[in-house]
Amino acid sequence: MSKRRFSSGWTALHIYGAAFLIFLYAPLALITVYSFNSNALNMAVWTGFTFDWYRTLFGMQPAGAAFDAAFTENPDRLLGVLRNSLIVALSASAISTVIGTATALATARYDFIGKRIYQALLFMPMIMPDIVLGIALLIFFVGVGFKLSLATIIIGHCTFLSSYVYIIVAARLAGMDNTLEVASADLGAGPVTTFRRVTLPLIMPGVIGGFLLAFIISLDDVVITYFIAGVDTQTLPLFILAMVRRGIRPQINALAVLLIMFSFVVASAGLYFRSRRN
Amino acid sequence: MAEGGTISSQRRKALFVLLTPITLLLGAFFLIPLGIMVVYSFLEPGLYGGVVWSFYPYNYGRIFGWPLGGGEEFEPLYIQIILNSLYYAALTVIVTLVVCYPVAFWVSRMGPMAKNIVLFAITLPFFANLLVRIYAWLLLLRPTGAVNTALMSLGLIDQPLNMIFTEFAVIVGLVYVLTPFMFLPIYASVERLDWSLVQASQDLGATPFQTFRRVILPLTAPGIAGGCVIVFIPALGNFIVPSFLGGSKVQMTGNVIERQFLQARNWPFGSTLAMIVMASVLLLVLAYTLWMRRAANNERLAGAGHV
Repeated sequence: MSKRRFSSGWTALHIYGAAFLIFLYAPLALITVYSFNSNALNMAVWTGFTFDWYRTLFGMQPAGAAFDAAFTENPDRLLGVLRNSLIVALSASAISTVIGTATALATARYDFIGKRIYQALLFMPMIMPDIVLGIALLIFFVGVGFKLSLATIIIGHCTFLSSYVYIIVAARLAGMDNTLEVASADLGAGPVTTFRRVTLPLIMPGVIGGFLLAFIISLDDVVITYFIAGVDTQTLPLFILAMVRRGIRPQINALAVLLIMFSFVVASAGLYFRSRRN
Repeated sequence: MAEGGTISSQRRKALFVLLTPITLLLGAFFLIPLGIMVVYSFLEPGLYGGVVWSFYPYNYGRIFGWPLGGGEEFEPLYIQIILNSLYYAALTVIVTLVVCYPVAFWVSRMGPMAKNIVLFAITLPFFANLLVRIYAWLLLLRPTGAVNTALMSLGLIDQPLNMIFTEFAVIVGLVYVLTPFMFLPIYASVERLDWSLVQASQDLGATPFQTFRRVILPLTAPGIAGGCVIVFIPALGNFIVPSFLGGSKVQMTGNVIERQFLQARNWPFGSTLAMIVMASVLLLVLAYTLWMRRAANNERLAGAGHV
């Protein structure tokens, strides 16, 4: 009924919504097109299709004829950076998944004094502007005498990733009653057995979803990493930042496209698990 | 699960095991670092990036003009930059709100299949790397960028428009990056909207504007408020967007903080600026929490009135 009354505006709304989606995706599509454009001087003018920017990114010889050799990247450097990023993202998201899930179980299944304080505290790292958390961690690590390294980046990421995992797992626990857990306990299973055999399988989609989203947020983090990475440690986003600051070159497009594709695949899997019902 | 009124010692032990990791993590690596930052903002900057351990409130004096001492002078530039940042963040909130609000209605009226696909499509860009998304706008807006090239080849302009390194570019960048944060809370409240109330309003002869103003807007207010808060916060502290798209012309507080830490190496002064950002954020979140609590109370009272 009300739908019909609004139908005059419905077409306009469709156009508006489509324009919104174009706004979201056009810039990403643009980089993708640029990354295959052989024009090294002006990306905005199409001169032909090439894989050269991807090839030179990995140290391969460009296939194109007219090519400035200075554009070739050092592949070892990129692989080292990629390795750093994966170590950080895997460790930080694994640790955060354990901590976030444990916290979610505590607030969902137990009553304790200070529960609301914990719940409020868990929101704090997510609402704190990145730059504030980044410099606070920098002052702390330097003050305590921690050498800035991959380890400090992993710790820094855990502080905010745990909250993301907590929220995803807590949401799953909230939508689930505890009948099966009670039954398991009544049948004589200890808390560990009940957790392993009953609770964990039930919350598994939330845990996997939380892990994947934490992984991709860690992999993409720029600001906090920027402050606590130290001078000789670089992650992929910091590598891209340094590339862009040296000047815009076509290889940046190629690397950006690879990173977007990877993020989209992992994030899609994460969103799928998060929304999956039993 | 509730075994009478008392908590068994086994359960207490389990709770302890579950809560210890998060307590240590957030205690040691979140609360203590922020506490040290607060202390740093009251310390005297030493030579070569160090600090002198004496009470030194003059970092604040340098920004606000009071208290002054220790050779610090009032530099009105910083208040200007802070106010500019607040203005850019507010403008970002308004633009994202205006952009996202109709989209939320568009999505909420779809069939379940289309709805899931579009929601997924709107959420996904959030996971594309932040730098890459901002870099894309650098490619779009610079003088030899896509927009200028397109407009010039169409003959609409002779000279490239000066878009990069302007306030416009910074706002566009912030809006682009933060749009998902505004969309999701608004969508959640639009999705819960009770359309029978809208219909009732129309049946009682309200104009579409009255229906919007008196029914739809108040019912979706919680989502609007939530979206505004979580867009404002990252916009205020941002430094990647202004450093890419604002160049040296458009400065935000985040850029100044970054320079104090990594170039000027005046950590106390950088901490002071970060304190101002943090205080603004906490005030905003506090106001939002109080407002939400009052709204919830009003609803409860209204509910009691019906009985």
